[in-house]
Amino acid sequence: MSISSRRDLILGGGMGLGAVALSAMSAQGPHHKARAKNCIFLLMEGGPSHIDTFDPKPRLDSLHMTKFQKERNKFEANMNTGERYYVKSPFQFRRAGKMGIEINSLFESFSGVVDDVCFYRGLRAESVNHPTALYHLNTGNQFGGDPALGAWTSYGLGSINKNLPSFVVLPDTAYPQGGAANWSNGFLPAVHQGTPLRPVGAPVLDMTPPSGVTPERQRMTLDLLNAINSKHQQRHPEHAELAARVATYELAFRMQAEMPKVLDLSKERPETLAMYGDGPIGRRCLLARRLVEAGVRFVQVIVMGWDSHDYIENAHGARIRAIDKPIAALLKDLKRTGLLEETLVVWSGEFGRSPDNGIRGGGEAWGRDHNATAMPCWMAGGGVKAGHIVGATDETGLKAVEAVHPIRDFHVTLLHLLGLDDSKLRYLHAGREKQMSQTGGEVIREVLA
Amino acid sequence: MAKVWFTLLLLARVASAQELLKECLGCHGETMALSKLDLRTRESMLRGGTRGAAVIPGKAAESLLLRMIEAKDGVQMPPGDASKRLPPETVNAIRVWIDAGAPWKESKADTWTKYKPEDLWAFRPLPSLDKSKTVDAFVKSGSVADRRTLIRRVTIDLTGLPPTPEEIDAFVKDKAKDAWPKLIDRLLASPRYGERWGRHWLDVVRYADTSGYSNDFERPNAWRYRDYVIRAFNQDKPYDQFIREQIAGDELDAGSSEARIATGFLRMGPWEHTGMSVEAVTRQMFLDDVTHSTAATFLGLTLGCARCHDHKFDPLPTKDYYRMQAVFSSTEFVRPALPFLPGENVAGLTAAKAHMQGVAGQAKSRMEELRGKKDPDIFEEFKLYQKHTAHYKEALDRFEPKAFAVASGPIDGATDGGPNLRYAKVAAYKAPDVFVLPGGNIQAPAEKVTPGLLTLLDYAAPPVTEAIAGRRSALANWIANERNPLTARVMVNRIWQYHFGEGIAADTNNFGKMGKKPSNPALLDWLAGSFIDSGWSVKAMHRTILLSAFYQRADFTPRRVEAEVLRDSILAVTGELSLDAGGPGVYPQINEDVARQAQHRMGSLAPAYRASPAKRDRNRRSIYTFQQRSLIDPMLEVFNAPSLDMSCERRDTATVPTQAFTLFNGQFAHDMALALAAKLDRQPVRAAFQRVLGRLPDAAEEKAAQATLEKLTKMHAATPAPPRPAAKPVVHTITSELTGEQHRFTHQEDPAAFEHNLHPSQTTPAVRALADIVLALLNSNEFIYVY
Repeated sequence: MSISSRRDLILGGGMGLGAVALSAMSAQGPHHKARAKNCIFLLMEGGPSHIDTFDPKPRLDSLHMTKFQKERNKFEANMNTGERYYVKSPFQFRRAGKMGIEINSLFESFSGVVDDVCFYRGLRAESVNHPTALYHLNTGNQFGGDPALGAWTSYGLGSINKNLPSFVVLPDTAYPQGGAANWSNGFLPAVHQGTPLRPVGAPVLDMTPPSGVTPERQRMTLDLLNAINSKHQQRHPEHAELAARVATYELAFRMQAEMPKVLDLSKERPETLAMYGDGPIGRRCLLARRLVEAGVRFVQVIVMGWDSHDYIENAHGARIRAIDKPIAALLKDLKRTGLLEETLVVWSGEFGRSPDNGIRGGGEAWGRDHNATAMPCWMAGGGVKAGHIVGATDETGLKAVEAVHPIRDFHVTLLHLLGLDDSKLRYLHAGREKQMSQTGGEVIREVLA
Repeated sequence: MAKVWFTLLLLARVASAQELLKECLGCHGETMALSKLDLRTRESMLRGGTRGAAVIPGKAAESLLLRMIEAKDGVQMPPGDASKRLPPETVNAIRVWIDAGAPWKESKADTWTKYKPEDLWAFRPLPSLDKSKTVDAFVKSGSVADRRTLIRRVTIDLTGLPPTPEEIDAFVKDKAKDAWPKLIDRLLASPRYGERWGRHWLDVVRYADTSGYSNDFERPNAWRYRDYVIRAFNQDKPYDQFIREQIAGDELDAGSSEARIATGFLRMGPWEHTGMSVEAVTRQMFLDDVTHSTAATFLGLTLGCARCHDHKFDPLPTKDYYRMQAVFSSTEFVRPALPFLPGENVAGLTAAKAHMQGVAGQAKSRMEELRGKKDPDIFEEFKLYQKHTAHYKEALDRFEPKAFAVASGPIDGATDGGPNLRYAKVAAYKAPDVFVLPGGNIQAPAEKVTPGLLTLLDYAAPPVTEAIAGRRSALANWIANERNPLTARVMVNRIWQYHFGEGIAADTNNFGKMGKKPSNPALLDWLAGSFIDSGWSVKAMHRTILLSAFYQRADFTPRRVEAEVLRDSILAVTGELSLDAGGPGVYPQINEDVARQAQHRMGSLAPAYRASPAKRDRNRRSIYTFQQRSLIDPMLEVFNAPSLDMSCERRDTATVPTQAFTLFNGQFAHDMALALAAKLDRQPVRAAFQRVLGRLPDAAEEKAAQATLEKLTKMHAATPAPPRPAAKPVVHTITSELTGEQHRFTHQEDPAAFEHNLHPSQTTPAVRALADIVLALLNSNEFIYVY
């Protein structure tokens, strides 16, 4: 590096600084024409029931309360064995959209947008344990520690807005099981880590100084720091990393200015705010749209509370009511702004639920246990076959039987829609070429438009 | 005549093309055919794979095979960076061969990757040791660094803390010839050495105080393993003994508490068994984890790759994987009572236990009060305290003299693993059979295997017993063996990496074909030989390396310090570091928002994070902080502290903007800057430079800092510091699984019990202004880089 370019790094402003700091962010892709530029992943933590949401099973009405015995063996979880009985869905279903899909009647607003949605019933998870299944869905590996889908997307596509992180997570009030490893950068460079924007407290950690520190004071301290660093840099001209580190301070302060603008909902139209509703899920969905608009590549919205082993009517009922308006609003709003064409929206849990239940609560507290062989999932926007149902589960909803694909194919498909080829999107780590799907997978062609 | 020559040449090319393509068969052959491409025959190459035909005879430039090899379309084969490319003469041979129509001599193609000798470097026996040599016989180095640079370099390297101004001064003035070796001896004798180098080892073994997954329950006695590691480094325990104790301490030296604590190594991976887990899966996850981690830690092998299929690149068949796994099939989890050792820190345990019992008792009595009530709000609260009670039940065991360990077969009364496991009966115990599991599928076992070692390194080691006990001893003795070519190489390479930032072989956990080749194999071999010759002394290896001119050279590659070194250094230079060593993990001051963040635990929430009330505890070195898998100190995390779930062979040092937030805006940095400012009275600017950077400012720096200080002092005088905010209650919200509604819990700590850091409102404008100067110094490149 020449002296003059180094001086530019230290003294210059604007993009040059960010470019150095984020040199690790140079994009690997796209590998082919992308159908979507961004992704909003609505993660329903706890395992929502497909049977009680988008895949009704009338056969369970006649089987309701039929008891049977499932032998306890080492290949079954204790939870899923012993005396079992079938459980019908306590919910009413309504036909919606041109395709006439039957969905839970509580989805009042969402029923109006199903023609933009591709419902996929062929997906299968592998684990019936929350954290391993969450890690699997988020990172492709049941062990924590690998990069999340958002991190791979950021690595593959790079950043659009250099002042904002390219992978943002909007967690629920509590961190999910397995914690921050669900949005880890894993072995990818740290810039690809998901940045959680907390629902309480400062949205980005330490983005603002402790109370009482004025911007003026901060600027003076920063100027002194720059002077000390600049002197030091002159003693070590060979070391470009030093300049990059100086640049991150300036970048951080631009982010400090940019982020509050994105998070400020006060400029939204009243009808938009009303459409999302004033609940916390509505706020997260609206923020997701704003973040995508501002150039964030991958936004994950987490909604917890779907683990309804008991009292599914209450529990799922409340959850469905809570998400109905916000998710419908998100799709409508994206469509209104034209963003839906270039944004892939995904809705999924970490697994589905069983048609049967254990005998807890004397058979009164109807609920459902975990099920990895069938699960609810839908996609909308960029590149998916809107207004279609793809795949099918068996008559009780125990297993996916048509267009069946494992999670890794789901990942390959989502990357594919984002213009990334899983087999090319690789990273050499510890002497091994690693990829999202671990060992490769195939695109689920049936869901593509 | 020319034609004859051409034909001869071509035939030679044919042979070499066929030969060269064999390298690709691991992935594009019988076993794998990635991208549906099979390179074993001419037909299959013409047919090609998912990307189309691989070879178009006569048209090399259009043939995908050549384009991939030359990385023409943005994809490179073999994959990796430019260093993985085939050599130009090979590429040329393939080009000539395709252009000549791709002629093919029929022969039975190999179905297995042919190993090139250079890929098997790590498996070769070590050459005999030339004792007359030194490190400098293998490497060149220019001028020697100045003494100030040297003492900072080696002090941070060996202790993880910067030298004090007094130490710097003494070394700079010490003109004796043996000043350098004396300095090294002093640092190696410091208890801080084991804390620094123990941390490196804990990175590799993924040390944590919790089990991860849904409940992330505490491993209440794991800290004794952490302290064992620190002691081992401080005592310079011979590395072969260190290996034997960690793999089979219980078998080899059953009478030694130390050796039994060491076996905690085998249980370091994340692990959980709940009512929703499948028992055979949980057990298999442990067996896979321990097989892989033992091989990676001690042998630098990616043996886990052979779980589903024969290793694609290294000579490690799946059968070997399961034979080694069978060594662990009789390994059972135990938490036996083992009295505390004289060297263990048990100070304050009684008081801490009484305190936690108080908190646990409150949770339990609240739970009992709420039991049986139907109201959904109350039931959620009941579940919360039920979860907290389960949490404390585990956590309270940290004060008990037990060990987080294993045994060969179960032990009455000491089995470990929670209520959901079906324990084997001691009397009827039989080591479970192990089968090869093709594709890693536990439901489709194939051939049964007996315990064994890697076929490749079969240097006449005695066979592994099939009895319940003794399997791990056999493995340990085979690894901790001077005839094992990997063991010493892997360890000296790790040591080299921590001294220089990069190993001689850069992938310290992967000595196979896909790992980077050693940049200086002769040096690596010589170091390995010296290591064995010294009786596996790690401290002797440090001396060998540190006394070299190569280590003392001026053009040393600068490095950013690791997260823990940064935190510990901030505490040290501000005079806030507590040097208490050992004992159960302490809770440092972490970002307040993260501390207050609710954390989901299966069905409810974890208790709120509580920083240790006493400064003396929370300001201890980072290695003694409680390592919770689901909650890593965000300050350490942002400075690239690794996930606690995977072995970390080498720290990432990427620079990201959020590091600036943490160090410039974070409460910890502000508090520590103020703490130092309040301690400096005379010539505060000069003193601040000396304390933080170990040197005085030059004239220009002093002038700039002094001017800033004066302006800031005026500013602070004009705006008084706001008072310390009153302690706010912790509010946690959870969405109920039973009602789908949100429930809110509020928790108020007793603020009187907490020993606060100094607050700006307790200081003068001059001190607060000086704190801003200190903050700038703590953020400077000079402070966080080592040269």
